[in-house]
Amino acid sequence: MNNSTQPNNFISDEKKLRQKRRERADSRFHWYGLTALGLALAFLVFFFVDIIGQAVPAFYQTEVKVNIHYVEAAKTNYNKAVDHKLRRVVSRAWLRTLPVYLKRHPELIGNNIKQWVPADSRVDQYIKQHNGHGLKSKYQRIVDAMAEEGRIRQVFNIRFFTSGDSKLPENAGIFSAAVGSIFTLLITMLIAVPIGVMTAIYLEEFSEDNHFTRIIEVNINNLAAIPSILYGLLGLAIFINFAGVPRSSALAGGLTLALMTLPIIIIATRAALQSVPSSIREAAFGLGASRWQTTWHHVLPLAMPGILTGSIIGLAQAMGETAPLLIVGMVAYVPDAPDNILEAATVLPAQIYTWAGESLRAYEERTAAAILVLLTVLLSLNGLAVYLRKHFERRW
Amino acid sequence: MNTSKVNIKDLKLWYGESEALHGIDIEFSEKRVTALIGPSGCGKSTLLRCLNRMNDRIPGCRIEGQILLDGDDIYAPEVDVVQLRTHVGMVFQKPNPFPKSIYENVAYAPRIHGLAGSGSDMDELVETALRRASIWKEVKDKLHTPGTALSGGQQQRLCIARTIAVQPNVILMDEPCSALDPIATAKIEELIDELKREFTIIMVTHSMQQAARISDQTAFFYMGDLIEFGETGTIFTQPEKQQTEDYITGRFG
Ligand SMILES: Nc1ncnc2c1ncn2[C@@H]1O[C@H](COP(=O)(O)OP(=O)(O)OP(=O)(O)O)[C@@H](O)[C@H]1O
Ligand SMILES: [Mg+2]
Repeated sequence: MNNSTQPNNFISDEKKLRQKRRERADSRFHWYGLTALGLALAFLVFFFVDIIGQAVPAFYQTEVKVNIHYVEAAKTNYNKAVDHKLRRVVSRAWLRTLPVYLKRHPELIGNNIKQWVPADSRVDQYIKQHNGHGLKSKYQRIVDAMAEEGRIRQVFNIRFFTSGDSKLPENAGIFSAAVGSIFTLLITMLIAVPIGVMTAIYLEEFSEDNHFTRIIEVNINNLAAIPSILYGLLGLAIFINFAGVPRSSALAGGLTLALMTLPIIIIATRAALQSVPSSIREAAFGLGASRWQTTWHHVLPLAMPGILTGSIIGLAQAMGETAPLLIVGMVAYVPDAPDNILEAATVLPAQIYTWAGESLRAYEERTAAAILVLLTVLLSLNGLAVYLRKHFERRW
Repeated sequence: MNTSKVNIKDLKLWYGESEALHGIDIEFSEKRVTALIGPSGCGKSTLLRCLNRMNDRIPGCRIEGQILLDGDDIYAPEVDVVQLRTHVGMVFQKPNPFPKSIYENVAYAPRIHGLAGSGSDMDELVETALRRASIWKEVKDKLHTPGTALSGGQQQRLCIARTIAVQPNVILMDEPCSALDPIATAKIEELIDELKREFTIIMVTHSMQQAARISDQTAFFYMGDLIEFGETGTIFTQPEKQQTEDYITGRFG
C-alpha cells in the first residue's frame, strides 16, 4: 500500500482544528471553575468580614464614672443612688443590683463614691457611634460633656459571656443559652450516638439481607432528608404530649434533636463499616472469631475514624438547629441558666433568633457576636472531627 | 496407606438457584498436600470454603451431601462453627494481616480461644508459630510493628503463622502465592513442604508447576465436577481423562 498520498495522521488540518476546539473547551471549563470558586470564596469572605465587623463592638461595654450615693433610701429605690440627670446614663441592670449589695454591705451607707459603672445600652450605642442608638439629645449632651472630662471608657464586656438573656441589652449574654446548648447536645449525643452506631452495626454486620431490613434501610435514608421542623412535631407528640417530658426543657430538645441526628449517624456509620475491607472480616472469621468478636476487635477500630467524623458532624448539625426546637418550646426568653435538664432552657441558635427580632440597636451587635461564637464552636467541632480522623488513622 | 482426614460424600452446592458443585466425592489424606486445579469458575474456591464453612456467610448458599472431618459430619446441627475453624484453618489469596502488630496478629486467635494467657506462655506460642512459618528471623526484632508494613511474601507467611497458632489439623490455602513474586513464592512452597509433616494441606493453585512441585495428590475440577483425582505424579504423567491432559498441557482453560 502506498502511504505517501495519505495525510500525516497527526497534523492534518481537520485534526488540528479539532485539537484547537478541544483546547478551547478545556480552558473555558477551567475559567468557569475558577469563577465559581472565586464567587464562593468572595461570599465566604464577605460573610465573615461582615459578621466579625458587626460582632466586635459587642465585646466592649461602655462604662461611665459617676458619683454613687450609698444612702439608706437606695435600699428600696435604687434610683436614689445616682443624680437625677444621670438616671438614663447609668445601666439600669447595674442599678437594680444595688439594694441587695447594700443590704450585704451596710457599712457603705452614708458614703459617696466616684466609681466606674456600666453605661445604659443607649449611651453605649451612642459612644460606639451606631445609627439608631436611641439616646435623647438631652442625654447626648451630658454624655458628650462626660467624655470631655474623661469619665467614659470602654472595657471588655465580660457580661456577654457570664449572664443570660435580659430585656436590658447591656446585661444580655449568651451564658444561659450556652448552658442550654451543652445540656441539649449532651442528651442528643448520649442517645443518638450509641443507638445510631448499634443500629448501623446490626444492619451492616449482623442482619441478613432480606425484605424487612431493606425496607428499614430505605426508610432511614428517607428520614435523613425530612425537613427538620417535622422532627419538632414528632418530638412534641412523643416526648412532651405522650411521655410527659417538660416543655422547653433541655431533655425535650435533646431527645428531639436525637431523633433528627439518628439517621445521619446511622448512614455515616454504615458507610464507615462498608469501607472496611471484607478481607479483614474473612481473616477473623477464618480464625474462628464470632461475629461479635470480628466486629468488635477488627471492624469497629478500623471504622472508628469514619464513625467519629459522622457523629461529630451530625451533632454539629444538631447544635445549629432551631426549627424543631421552636416546636418543643425552646425558643424562649430564658434569663437564668438551667440547673438541670428538666428546667426551661434555650440554645445558642435560638438565642440568636430571639435577639435578631429585638428592636433595640444594642441587640444587633449581640446577635452578630452570638453568631460568631456559634460559628467558632461549630468550626472547632469540625476541626475536632478532622483531628480525630487523622489521629486514629496514624495508628497504623 | 494414608489415613483419610477429610471425606466428602456427594457434595452439591447452590448459590441461590445456580448449582456450583454437582456431587463431589473425594477423600483428602492426612499430612499430605492436595492440590485443587481447574479452570477459573470451576468451583475450587467454593469447595475449599465448604471445608471450614466459610460459605455459611454467603446468603442463599445451600449444600447437600456430607463432609466428614475425622469421621464427624461438620455440617451436623450440633457443630460449633467457631470450634470447627480452629480445626480447619484458612490462608487467603491476598495476604490479609490485621492492621495490628505482628505479635497481635499471631496472638489473636489463641487468645480468643483461650489457648494461652497473655504472659510468657503467649510469647512462647507466638514465637513457635512464627518459627514454624519460617518468618521468625525476619520479624523477631520488630514484633510490635504493624503486620501490614511487611512485604507481601512476609505478610503471607505471617498469615500462615497466624493460622497455625491455634494448631489446626487441616490448612486450606486458596491460591496463596498468586499475589507474590517468584522468590516469595519459592519461600511459601518450601514452607508448605515443611508444614505437611504436621498438617493436612489442601490448596488451590493455578500454576501447574506449583501443583507438580509441592503436592502429593492432585484433583482436577471442571464446571463443578471432579474430573480426575489421584497421585500428582500419575496425574501429570499419565492422566486417565483426555480433559485432564488437555488442561495440564495448556490446551484449554
Ligand atoms: N458468592 C457467590 N455467589 C454466587 N455465585 C458464586 C459465588 N461465589 C462463586 N460463585 C459461582 O460459583 C462458581 C464457582 O466459583 P469459584 O469461586 O468456586 O471458582 P474457582 O474455581 O475458585 O475460580 P477461580 O480459579 O477463578 O478462583 C462460579 O460460577 C461462580 O460464579
Ligand atoms: Mg477461586
